[in-house]
Amino acid sequence: MNYTIASEFTPLIDAIETHLVGKKETIALSLATFFAGGHLLLEDIPGVGKTTLAKHLSQVLGLDFGRIQFTSDMLPSDILGVNYYNQKEGAFIFKKGPIFTSFLLADEINRSMPKTQSALLQAMEEGSITIDGTLHTLPKPFFVIGTQNPQEEVGTFPLPTSQLDRFMCSFGIGYPDSVSEREILKGERGHSRSISNTLLTPQQIESYMKRASEVTLSETLLDFLQKIIAYTRESGIFEYGLSTRGALSLTAMTKSWAMLQGRNYVTADDLQAVTSAVCTHRLKFKEGLTTAKRIHDEIFTHIRSDI
Amino acid sequence: MLFLKHLQDTKLTPLALLDTAYIIVLLPLMLILKVPMLIFSFMVLVLLFFKKTPADKYLILFIFLMGLLALYLSLYGLFSFRGLSRLKLFLELLVYILIIVVSMQRLTREINFYLLLSPVLFLALSLFFFHSLMMLMYVIFEIFFLLWLILAHRMEGNMIESFRASMVMFMYSLPWVVVLFIFFPRISFEHADYGFKGENIQRMGHDGTMFLDSKALLVPSDRIVMEVGFDTEVPTSDKLYFRGSILYVDKKDYWEPLPAYMKRENKTDDPVVGETIEYKVTLYPTQKRWIYLLDMPVRIVNNSDMDKDLISTVKKPIKTPMHYTARSVLTPTFYDNLDQDTLDASISFDIKRNPKTYQEAQKIKNLYKEPDKKASALVKFFQNQSLTYSLKPKALDINNTADSFLFDKRLGYCVHFASSFVTMARMCGIPSRIVTGYKADQANSFNNYLAVKERDAHAWAELYIGQHWVRFETTSTASAIDKDTLEILGANNTFFNRVNLQLMYIKYQVETWILYYSHIRQLQLIQYAKENPRFVLLFVFSLLTLVLITFSITLYFRRPRCTHKVLCILEPLLKKLKKEGYIRQKDETMHQYFLRYMKEHPEKSALKEVDNCYELISYGGDTSSATMKQLKRMVKKSLSS
Repeated sequence: MNYTIASEFTPLIDAIETHLVGKKETIALSLATFFAGGHLLLEDIPGVGKTTLAKHLSQVLGLDFGRIQFTSDMLPSDILGVNYYNQKEGAFIFKKGPIFTSFLLADEINRSMPKTQSALLQAMEEGSITIDGTLHTLPKPFFVIGTQNPQEEVGTFPLPTSQLDRFMCSFGIGYPDSVSEREILKGERGHSRSISNTLLTPQQIESYMKRASEVTLSETLLDFLQKIIAYTRESGIFEYGLSTRGALSLTAMTKSWAMLQGRNYVTADDLQAVTSAVCTHRLKFKEGLTTAKRIHDEIFTHIRSDI
Repeated sequence: MLFLKHLQDTKLTPLALLDTAYIIVLLPLMLILKVPMLIFSFMVLVLLFFKKTPADKYLILFIFLMGLLALYLSLYGLFSFRGLSRLKLFLELLVYILIIVVSMQRLTREINFYLLLSPVLFLALSLFFFHSLMMLMYVIFEIFFLLWLILAHRMEGNMIESFRASMVMFMYSLPWVVVLFIFFPRISFEHADYGFKGENIQRMGHDGTMFLDSKALLVPSDRIVMEVGFDTEVPTSDKLYFRGSILYVDKKDYWEPLPAYMKRENKTDDPVVGETIEYKVTLYPTQKRWIYLLDMPVRIVNNSDMDKDLISTVKKPIKTPMHYTARSVLTPTFYDNLDQDTLDASISFDIKRNPKTYQEAQKIKNLYKEPDKKASALVKFFQNQSLTYSLKPKALDINNTADSFLFDKRLGYCVHFASSFVTMARMCGIPSRIVTGYKADQANSFNNYLAVKERDAHAWAELYIGQHWVRFETTSTASAIDKDTLEILGANNTFFNRVNLQLMYIKYQVETWILYYSHIRQLQLIQYAKENPRFVLLFVFSLLTLVLITFSITLYFRRPRCTHKVLCILEPLLKKLKKEGYIRQKDETMHQYFLRYMKEHPEKSALKEVDNCYELISYGGDTSSATMKQLKRMVKKSLSS
């Protein structure tokens, strides 16, 4: 992937990279997802650093971190909170669940039942939840990192499509390359226990998010984007095409990625860089395995930016 | 152009492309299909239109049986294994069978070899049935169209791209076609009996005899007998005598050539005396064996015989348009060493007939000794008879035709003038004969093209004076032309006729220079080029112009329309990279493409600026002219560095 992170963002990435060695690109994509105002689904085998990434990301961003470890016996109220009757005051009092946080790590989200998973639906889409008819607003920004183990694992429930669609991006972390791994094994880097310094103020975060939404998307690139969307829907090789929300996610993510590189306009390269992250969990090949690389190749060998 | 715009969005499936090909090639064949077959074709068409699923085997069998029925009904009673119609009949049968087979195949809605091949077969077969210039143009159109469809198929149905490509191919080939056409060595062969031929209508007019009471020579029709192209200007009317046949024998009311046993021997090529003129003749089918040459012919036309009377004949009656090149000396007199038999034949007359004429002839004969003086006295006598030229003469007394014409009716046309003149000349003791043929009219010419029509059929006299045959235009002794005849002759000069003549001229040029361009013409052209360096210059110049025009048209069609202003600016750079072997991959963005190049060519850092500027314009939305100019500058810089 061709990209150069703008100097204002490199400290952020470097800070996290000390804990997640050799994964700059993954970190950058996660940051882009955050600035684009989306949620992130990390899908990989246990032990490659999903939780590490989430934890340090929250620390660097200075957001208050909440974590829910999903299990199969979990109920929606365990996440959202409950109205309980306070005898002292003689009224129902709402006890906030762990979701009331800015940075939520939904760990092993596919271990819980679909009913529980769906508790997150409204929260992720609207930034608020409704309990017993009362609307509770979640803090802003509200960022969810869901992690899930590969579907084949015992005791997992596949995420419903509606849930999947609410994650802006999804990617794996993968094994570190041999050089990085050597450093980790030597114990030189990758102290996952230590705490990262906060590098951004809430005002900075807000301005970055604003900037990401204001990045220019030229007509020519819109054409290209629409061609891609049309291809996912019309080529007939996917079970479903990209939804409108998916298309919006692709746009937002592309813009955010452009901002990370210090540009105020989107290029075809940006689109190429983020497409597989946005599409892998949304599209499914009718035949064969759906992988990020296959999606990338399938789309970009068929759809070419003419310019 | 609107048509092209519409095509832009059109993408046809292979089956649709194939159907289009069929429509194009079957159009001319529709004209020859018999009604049952037409109905069958229509039935198949309706089936194709309404039944969108592949036909099952019962339907195919049904169609096959219907096709056979249609075939039977179409050709019922036509099989007679005689004559030339046989070939055409078999070809027709072939077309019908092909239609049935194609129909059966097409209904299965699968594309197979049959279907792919048969449009070409139909095209080839249609060539057997039509021989006109129109068909030639249509065939060129068909070939272009089929090429387009094939390319469209290769380009996955993209009509506009394939149209451009086929246009480019056509344009590229154009100068080469012209050059090859002119210079490619030609084999001389008789034109095949099929293929492109001109009209095939039987003509009459000159028929080798001359009846005094019938109107054999009198066909006031504008039908073209032959078309003549001169190397120089068309000579004046008084020199345009096309020799047809010679009549020696007076048979009371008609004249005949010498009987077969007296036939004069063939002439061999003599050394040419005098200024010759060369001309090419297209003679339309006459069903006779004569070919017509201007007086006096000095070269024997290929594959023909010329006798000592300078009459040329071919071995078989002319049934298809004939083309020949001839050479003549335009002279009214020519030397002939007449043998005794022929001399006798040309002096004999029946003394029992035409007493009045004989009487007058004797007067002249006694008055003058020298044949030439006798002849001029004869002409004077005719002039004094106040004869009237008329195309509607009164019937003559067939026993005394000369008397009747000269002293009684005094009304007639060429036949009567020539007949009486020769009769009287013989009575005066001058050997003489009648020549029939065509006397062309310069009014029917355009540039160096001359059309000879039926109405130009003519007869005149030749008198043997001092070992030379001397032509006498007997008709010119008429002192008046009657009113009706004037009207008929005047009709020749209308505006419509002039326009018609010009159209005929164009058609003639196409036929002589394209359809019947032969090795003879090729040699002539080379000879002409040798003698005229200016012509060579002009030719080279026009060829270069043609190449230039083709080239520019090709460029116009080939130039990928820059869909984007920026791409147009970048084009020279992209071309250069492509030339160096860097082809942009399918999934490569412009940025990645440039990066890849720069990675292997670190010295070309100027490209980086181009890249940035390009992205700024194309993605950053900065389309101001200043930035465009900057990009242009950078591209230039990167090209030079």
